[in-house]
Amino acid sequence: MLEILIVGAVSSAIYAMLAVGFTLIFGVARVLNLAHGSFYALGAYGTYFLSSTLKWPLLVAALTSVAVVALFGVAVERVLVRPMRHSQLAVLMITLAVALVVEQALFLTFGSEYRNVPAFVDTKFTIGGVDVGGARLLALGVCMVLIGALWLFIQHTRLGSAILAISQDAQAAQYMGIPSDRIFSLVMAISAALAAAAGILAGPFLTVQPTMWLLPIVKAFAIVVVGGLGSIPGSIVAALMLGYAETIVAYGISTSWTEIVSVLATLLMLVVRPAGIFGRRAAF
Amino acid sequence: MLPHRLDFAAAAAFFGLMALLPLVFGSNYLIGVLTVSAIYGIWAVSWDFMSGLTGRENFGHSLFIGVGAYTAGFLNTSLGASGWWSLPAAMVVAVLFALVIGLPTLRLKGPYFALAMLSGAVIMQRLMLIFWEYTGGEEGINGLTPLIRSQLGFYYFALAVLAAMTLLLVVLARSHWGLILRAIRGDEATCQAAGINVTFYKIASLVISAAFAGAGGAMYAHYQLQVSPQLFAVVTSITIITMVYVGGMGTIYGPVGGAILLVLLMELLRDFGEWRLMIYSCTLILILFFLPEGLVAPMWRRLRAALTSRKPAGTGRTAAGLSQLEPGREPRP
Repeated sequence: MLEILIVGAVSSAIYAMLAVGFTLIFGVARVLNLAHGSFYALGAYGTYFLSSTLKWPLLVAALTSVAVVALFGVAVERVLVRPMRHSQLAVLMITLAVALVVEQALFLTFGSEYRNVPAFVDTKFTIGGVDVGGARLLALGVCMVLIGALWLFIQHTRLGSAILAISQDAQAAQYMGIPSDRIFSLVMAISAALAAAAGILAGPFLTVQPTMWLLPIVKAFAIVVVGGLGSIPGSIVAALMLGYAETIVAYGISTSWTEIVSVLATLLMLVVRPAGIFGRRAAF
Repeated sequence: MLPHRLDFAAAAAFFGLMALLPLVFGSNYLIGVLTVSAIYGIWAVSWDFMSGLTGRENFGHSLFIGVGAYTAGFLNTSLGASGWWSLPAAMVVAVLFALVIGLPTLRLKGPYFALAMLSGAVIMQRLMLIFWEYTGGEEGINGLTPLIRSQLGFYYFALAVLAAMTLLLVVLARSHWGLILRAIRGDEATCQAAGINVTFYKIASLVISAAFAGAGGAMYAHYQLQVSPQLFAVVTSITIITMVYVGGMGTIYGPVGGAILLVLLMELLRDFGEWRLMIYSCTLILILFFLPEGLVAPMWRRLRAALTSRKPAGTGRTAAGLSQLEPGREPRP
C-alpha cells in the first residue's frame, strides 16, 4: 500500500513536470507542441552524453543539458513554429516533424539500444519497510521544488504577470505594451527546460532510447486535457490522478493495462467535459 | 478546352500512366511499390473527404484501417470466408466504429477532435495486444488468402478502386453536399442557424471516410496476407495526414498524388539505410515550411491555368464555381 503511495507520487511528479510545461506554452502561445516529448528525451540523452562520454561532473552535465534544451526550444519556436501559428494543424505537423527529426538524430548518434543515465544518488532508502531508490525520491523532491518555483515566478514577478496577461487575452496584453513575441520565447524556454529536467530526473529509472518521446507526450496530452488546457493547477491535479490511477492499475491488474488508463481518461473527459476539470472554457 | 474536361483528361492520363508503368518495366518490385501507393492513396483520399473538407483533423484514421484489416483477418482465417466477403464486411465494421466514436466526439473541434480520435486508435491497438489469445498479439493474424492470385491483377484492382473512389468523392465534394461540408469548416454556428443539420453531415462524412478506409484496410490485409497491431499505430495516421498535406488539403485529387509521391520517395531513400527516416523527416519540415498549400494540387492548378490561359482558379470571379474544390486560404476555426 505504502509502495503504491510512493511510486505513484514519483510518477505523478514526473508527469506534472511534463504537463505543466506543455500546458504553459499552450495557455500562453496557443501552441500544441508535439515536440515536447523530444525535449524530455534530449535532456536525458544530453546528460548521458556529457557525463558518460565527456566525463563531466554530473551536476554540470545536467545543468548544461537543461540550458541547451531550453535554447533548442527557443530556436524551434522562433524559426519553425512562429510562422505557422495561424493554423493549428500546421503547428501540430511541424512540431511532430521536429520530434521525428530529433528521434532520428538520437538514433543515428547513439543507436537504438537503451542507455543508462547516471543517478545523482545511488543509495536505497527504506521508508516504513518499503525500499525506494534514492533517484526516485530526488525526482519527487526536485519536481516539487521546480513547480513551486514556477508558480511563485508566475504569481509574484513582473514577468510572471506578463505571462498571465497574455494567457488571458493576448491581444489586450499586446496593446498594454507587453512584447508578446519575447514572452513566447521565454515561456518556450521554461517549458523546454522543465521537460529536460523531467527527462534527467526520470532517466536513471526509465528506459532511455530514441523513441522515448512518444509515450510522455501522449501522457502529457492526456493530463492536460483532463486538467483543462492551459490551467497549471489543473495539470497538477490531473497528473496526481493519472499517476496514481496508473500505479494502482499496474499493481492491481497488470502493467499492460496502464497505458490504456490515461488514453481512456482522455477520451472520457473529452466526451463528458471537453474543458477539463479546471478549464475555464471549451477552448476553440 | 473547358477546365473540367481538362481535369478529366488529366485524371485519365494519370491513371493510364499508372496502369502502363508495370507493363513497361514489368518488375514485381515496382508492382509491389505501386500497389502499396494505391492503397495509401485510398486511405489519404478517404481522410481528405472528411477532414480536409470539414476541417476536423482526424489523427486516428488508423482506427478504421485497423478494424477493417482485422475484420478481413478474422473472416478469412477463422471462418474461412472468401476474400471478397472481407471488403463489404470491413466497410460495415468500420462504419460501426465511426458511429460509436463519431457521435460523442464530432462536436469537438480542432486539436480536441484530433486527440479524441488518436485516443480511439491507441486504445484499439492496446486492446489488440491485451487480448492476444484472440487477436494474435504482437504477431497479429497470419495466413490470409490473396484476393487475386496474380500480383498484377491485384494492382489493377487496387488502382481501379482508387480511381472509382476518387471520382465518386470528387463528384460528392463538388456537389451541394461538399459545399455544406466546406461551409461547416468555415462557420459551423452559421450553418446551424441556416437550418442545416450539421451533425448529420459531419457523421455522414465520417461514415463515408471510415467505410473507404476500412475497405482499404481489408485490401491491405489481403495484400500483405497478414494483419498486425502496427496498423493501428499513430504513425499510420500521421503518414496519411502527411500525404494529404503534400497533396493539398481539401482537394480530394491532390492526396492521390501525395500518397504516390511519398511512397516513391520512401522507396528511393532505401539506399540511404539508416539515414532514410532522417531525410524523410527533414523533407517533411521543408515541405511544411515552404509549401503550406501542399505540392500536387497547387501545381496542377497552375498548370491548368496555363493551359486554359485564364487567371488561376480562385482569383477570378468567373472561376468561382470551379474553385469550389480549391479551398485556397479559407479561414480556419
